[in-house]
Amino acid sequence: MAKKGIIHYIKHDFLLYLMLVIPVAYILIFKYAPMYGIQIAFKDYNIFKGINSSPWNDFETFKQVFSSKQFFQVVRNTLVLNGLDLIVGFPAPILLAILLNELVSTKFKKASQTILYLPHFLSWVIIGGIVAQLFSPTGMLNALIADMGGHGFPFLTDKYAWVGTYILVGVWQNAGWGTILYLAAMTGIDNQLYEAAEADGAGRFKKIWHITLPGIRPTIVILMILQLGNIMAINFDRPFNIQNNLVMDFGDVISTYVYRVGIQSADFSLGTAVGLFQSVICLIFLVSSNYISRKLGDDGIW
Amino acid sequence: MKAGARKFVSVGFATLMLASSLSACSSKGNNTSDNTKPSGSTQNTASEGTSKKHRTLTVEVFDRGKPGQPDLNNNYWTKYINDNFGKQYNATVKFVTVPRSQEVEKLNVLMASSDAPDIVFTYDAGTVYNFVQQGGLTDLGPLLDQYGSALTSYLGEDILKYGKYNGTQYAVSAKRTILAGFNTFIRKDWLDKLGLPVPTTAEQFYDTMVAFKEKNPGQVSGVIPYGYSLSSSTPGVGAIMEAFKPSNLTEKQFATLQAQSVSMPPWNLPGYDKAVQYLNKMFHAGLLSPNFVTDKDGKLSDADISNGKVGAFFTNWDGPYRTAPGTYNNLKANVPGAELIPIDPWQNDAGNHPKQGYSPNGLYIFVPKFSKNADLAVQYLNWMADPQNTLFLQNGKEGEDYNMVNGVPVQTGTTTSGDKMMTVANNLDYDILSNGIELGDPQKNQAAISAGYPGYEKEVENALKVSMTENYAPYYYSTPNAADAKYHSQLTSLSAQLLAKLITAKPAEFDSLYKSSVQQFMDQGGKAVLDEFVKNYDAQNGQ
Repeated sequence: MAKKGIIHYIKHDFLLYLMLVIPVAYILIFKYAPMYGIQIAFKDYNIFKGINSSPWNDFETFKQVFSSKQFFQVVRNTLVLNGLDLIVGFPAPILLAILLNELVSTKFKKASQTILYLPHFLSWVIIGGIVAQLFSPTGMLNALIADMGGHGFPFLTDKYAWVGTYILVGVWQNAGWGTILYLAAMTGIDNQLYEAAEADGAGRFKKIWHITLPGIRPTIVILMILQLGNIMAINFDRPFNIQNNLVMDFGDVISTYVYRVGIQSADFSLGTAVGLFQSVICLIFLVSSNYISRKLGDDGIW
Repeated sequence: MKAGARKFVSVGFATLMLASSLSACSSKGNNTSDNTKPSGSTQNTASEGTSKKHRTLTVEVFDRGKPGQPDLNNNYWTKYINDNFGKQYNATVKFVTVPRSQEVEKLNVLMASSDAPDIVFTYDAGTVYNFVQQGGLTDLGPLLDQYGSALTSYLGEDILKYGKYNGTQYAVSAKRTILAGFNTFIRKDWLDKLGLPVPTTAEQFYDTMVAFKEKNPGQVSGVIPYGYSLSSSTPGVGAIMEAFKPSNLTEKQFATLQAQSVSMPPWNLPGYDKAVQYLNKMFHAGLLSPNFVTDKDGKLSDADISNGKVGAFFTNWDGPYRTAPGTYNNLKANVPGAELIPIDPWQNDAGNHPKQGYSPNGLYIFVPKFSKNADLAVQYLNWMADPQNTLFLQNGKEGEDYNMVNGVPVQTGTTTSGDKMMTVANNLDYDILSNGIELGDPQKNQAAISAGYPGYEKEVENALKVSMTENYAPYYYSTPNAADAKYHSQLTSLSAQLLAKLITAKPAEFDSLYKSSVQQFMDQGGKAVLDEFVKNYDAQNGQ
């Protein structure tokens, strides 16, 4: 059979391709075109001369970045916080999804799912306020502890304790929402498998271990790759709204650093250089974790 | 691939996109630097203005986010400006809002994208200097000569010099009419209850705080003897440092070691370590707000004062009397009989009570180079310098919004809400040329100040007197500090972190931590800033 040309396919599925134009254009315009501006990382960017007329600076920005102690501190903090998020925050939705899946009462299941999703829709500004109210030295939790005769615990003012607070608040906010994908994957598992296992005398834990978990394995792997790819990227709102001046040794991360240097101090070249560095590391992580997972026999994301 | 790449790109390049989209726009701003050519005739601006075609002048205005504030681009004041200046010069004045708390960030973005209004301003000297260095501002000198006669005579060389960079007038500085800075306040009713005198030294102050803590004269739960919050933008220990600063500093020491006003702790100033240690001691004795680190914007501290939990605190000289956040009003409502008085406990080794105030310049007002209306901008400022317009913009209409009592305008209360609402006392957001009330006479200004705080006239008069006693201004440098412009905001946030650690440090570790903190500060740019101050001082004094 003669191979049909690309024109044929476009004609054949014309409307589908037409629909595709919009997201493609979106990505080109808003994701790729702005990369033109990356060059200011390599220039002495003058906001009044514009990108093109600013002079090249011979990697001076990068020399400055890599000679600053603060930069390595924020990179370390980003990796540590994201690493802990991966260890603590990644399994949480899986556990939660399994628990939800095991519930018998549909009503109860639906209600608890909805409640679990809710924190995801709160902005970090609001969560930051709640955290301050609850965990500050005279916050509700410490007042309760003090009333019961205990000593207050420095949830926000000791840097180690702060890391714990940061991670757990993240779990609280995201675990419920994260269950959606796993629950969807679980509905795809063939019910016959469970029935067969039951006939063989498998208990609840055996079924979870041998059927549910292998059933959602591809989903877990893909989400794991995505999160590994983002290990150097950290969202801005979460650390910014929870951090305070006592915990900046651990709480200052790449995004807050870029904001402070790039926007507040108007050192756009430096901010761009740090952002570029971060993106390159993310790319390396993404590609290599994908490669490893394919080698291990699982599907990668491409 | 798509999902991964999209997520990755979106997160990783977020910053780039912001910066680059801004800069992409800015290239269009290149061709603009020419100012509209002055028309042939000489001086008189009014007739000249009307003959030209209609123009639009854009002016920055601070958005303070005050509850109930009117449309900042369409209210009583903007109508007055447009009905008067606008008609006279055949122009429409449009206001562009900038959030007060993010003015520098927003300004940077506006300037980079060439979207900044014709008249922009900031309090941050470093930001102005960055713009000057990048060649982004209009030279206002010739325009001032041509259109700004009222303006130059109002400000005078003493104020204008603050806007000169290497002899070129890139900015016009507003005149600060009241130079008072800060005050320490104490609960007089608590002192009376315990039969204690007003503390006059740092030790007495400490003992008073201990008494407040132990005897809890207000019978409140969670008493906070000294209310304190560590701001990230202006971190410091307040006037406490005056008690420990040697009185015999040379002018050079003062000029270089305490070069900056409140925004940067003077880490190298002799005695500053003792002042921080004093706070450290207070913290460990439980005399300080326990939430001073997490209370970044001071809102919690204001609430504690309002709720009557706080015994003493340090704030703007008129802090409690201001209508926003209205701490004294709230305190009196919550605790009948509560009384706050300004005190002077920070006595130095010579028995004096020096107090840091402001230099006579206020806002830096400037015109971006890409503005096509630089001449109109100067004419606008010149119009504003007319005492009649200043009076109106600051007070409203006589007989309606204020009455003249002994030559001093007394507000009738019409400007606290609705269309006429002033989001800040004396409408400084529209009347940008004067920082503080301006009646053309320092004596009258002082008298008028108290009239601006209905219900607290006597108290404000006294607070102003206390704050102005032995008040000193920062040293004037004719050359700006380039290192400071570069490192300022990073050093400020570093200082806040260091202070937080020092105040909560174990007392035994304080000295070594202070040394390493100063070292860290110096390494991250503090040394470059200090060296440049020394260099500039020597150059200025011909050494």
